[in-house]
Amino acid sequence: MKALAIAVSALALAPAAYACTPRASQASLETKLVCIQCHTTLDESSSPFANELKAEVARRIAKCQTEKQILDAMVAEFGPTVLSTPQTHGFDLLAWVLPIGGILLGAAALAFGARYWSRKQQSDSAPPNPIAALAPEDERRVDDALARYE
Amino acid sequence: MRALRALAVAAVLSLLGLLVWDLAHQSGPGVATKVDQGKAVPAPILELPRLNGEGRLSLASLRGKVVVVNFWQSTCYPCKLEARDVAAASRDWASKGVVFLGVDAQDLKSAGRAYLEHYNVTYPNVRDAIGKTWTAWGVSGVPETFFIDKRGRVVPPHITGQASREKIDEGIRRALRS
Repeated sequence: MKALAIAVSALALAPAAYACTPRASQASLETKLVCIQCHTTLDESSSPFANELKAEVARRIAKCQTEKQILDAMVAEFGPTVLSTPQTHGFDLLAWVLPIGGILLGAAALAFGARYWSRKQQSDSAPPNPIAALAPEDERRVDDALARYE
Repeated sequence: MRALRALAVAAVLSLLGLLVWDLAHQSGPGVATKVDQGKAVPAPILELPRLNGEGRLSLASLRGKVVVVNFWQSTCYPCKLEARDVAAASRDWASKGVVFLGVDAQDLKSAGRAYLEHYNVTYPNVRDAIGKTWTAWGVSGVPETFFIDKRGRVVPPHITGQASREKIDEGIRRALRS
């Protein structure tokens, strides 16, 4: 009797389970969604809430939803904090732009500083009063003095 | 070089500004701690979308009534244990003008609604998707229950963990007297 019940249940569930080819990966989605109670990705959490979210993801995959559709649905429920990486539009775009801008600004500051310091060093190492060429009159007097000495 | 120095000073000042803003906007330990010390404190703002209904519900709209605010989650075991008692208390106290308000925090909408149906919860419930009200109220876990008097103040007792029918009734009586 029990075997019959299992067989009937399996037959009843089979059409739903094979209604379509899955269009999203459970493993991939579990790395892209965060358990907002424990602040880790779903694949790293086994809290009751994380398990509930995993089950919801599985239900949506079984309904043939794409990864984007599932992520959009989760954002609609919990807001963008449910995503493990910030979105690439709206205010979240700042999270991507600011570090890149910071790196570029830092590199520019370093280049500017290096150029300034190297120029300063060059000017510091140059002789303070280079010997100027003698005027023709002085040159003649030096030659005369040397001739007398010889 | 002057421009570089000005930029560095501006960056440091901006960071200092952010720090000051953050410190100024911290909400402290929340009302739970004060209520546990026996104080009556104004209820924090609570305005969220309804879980079992359309639109939003604001706690301020219930001013003038004693309100029992119960924080819960569908995945929380002690919440399930208290759910029927809280629902029964809400029905018994309704005739005396006492209003119950449930706050389903960090939960799937569908799971929350199924929970309400399963435990025959008919009083208003709102949904706090990411638990943003927890800090102001000082909620450290679920379930937690607060009592608000007619003047809109959260008054002792504050129940942490499963609320028994006796504790709920006692909290309501004290709120009615305050």
